[in-house]
Amino acid sequence: MIDELDLLKKDWKKNENSFQQISENEIYKMIHKKSTSIVKWILTISILEVIFWSFINFITIDENHIKTIKIYHLETFMNVFSILSYVVILVFIYLFYKSFKTISSTDSVKKLMSTIIKTKKTIQCYVWYNLGMLVFIFIVVIIFQITYDPNINKAFESLPKNATPEMFWLLLGLSYFGILLILFGIFWLFYRLVYGFLMRKLLANYNELKKIDY
Amino acid sequence: MSENLEQSFVLQLKENQNIIHKICRLYTSNEDAHKDLFQEITIQLWKAFPKFRGDSKFSTWAYRVALNTAITLYRKSKRSINTIEFENSVHFIKQEDYNFEEEEQIKLLYKAVQQLNDIEKALVFMYLEDKNYDEISETLGITEVNARVKMNRIKGKLRNILNP
Repeated sequence: MIDELDLLKKDWKKNENSFQQISENEIYKMIHKKSTSIVKWILTISILEVIFWSFINFITIDENHIKTIKIYHLETFMNVFSILSYVVILVFIYLFYKSFKTISSTDSVKKLMSTIIKTKKTIQCYVWYNLGMLVFIFIVVIIFQITYDPNINKAFESLPKNATPEMFWLLLGLSYFGILLILFGIFWLFYRLVYGFLMRKLLANYNELKKIDY
Repeated sequence: MSENLEQSFVLQLKENQNIIHKICRLYTSNEDAHKDLFQEITIQLWKAFPKFRGDSKFSTWAYRVALNTAITLYRKSKRSINTIEFENSVHFIKQEDYNFEEEEQIKLLYKAVQQLNDIEKALVFMYLEDKNYDEISETLGITEVNARVKMNRIKGKLRNILNP
């Protein structure tokens, strides 16, 4: 019996030249159009992410903020942190660029996929770093706020008589925790949506290839 | 990029465009999607062209880039979604030696191949294109033995679809 694929091959060869041909003119037009490839998307999202986090890091420096920082005795900490942020951004941009440059459409399918995944991971590391720093700063600010902010003392003093100090701290702790949770939730959802949508096909194919080789 | 480079690319692509059409045939199921993928492959080939040194044939080089685009790089653009699938996309021209039974089988086979995943389609494509296992394994980045094993599994899968 003739092999199924060989039967298909017979037809495949027969119809090899049956496609409607694209003219030179059309090809010229095509090469001047913009790519919609996954690499282009990753690049665009990464640039937006770097801009977003730089914005978050540096927007907060207004007069009121500087005053608050002084009250909280956090000047040195914030200065060191700002310098660190600059260095980290530069390092990540360099790493991302290096990884991005290695993406080549002439590599094997598996290699191409793994370089794209690596590039995406680099930018995700940057995001995790920022989220980690956000939590860290949040905690530092809370500690210094509780220690130095006169408003907290005022609030503490103006508690109703039947409220215990424990309740006050519990409530305060819970609201801080709530804010953190909401913040994380938003980011988590955002990344699930963006990268889930973008990477689903690639990861499925990558796993399929890995499965073949085991 | 210089006009000469552009001209050389366009001419070579025009000569070898059937390679891209064939990949589009396997990876898309309607005419708009076919055009859309064809365009993205063309853009990717053009982007990679300055590095094409000519030490391999244009067609061999184009196979690699086109497959990579179809499997990994390509993302459907909006306009290729929600279009009606065109029936029997396979047979554009009726052949004179029309054999009804065989023709039906071929139709079923194409349908079955359409149901395979992207990697399996790549294996089928290279098989149909008479590529040897050495080349198949190198293109996909898997070992030759595993490429053969997978190919046999695909054959089995297709046989089962045809003779349930």
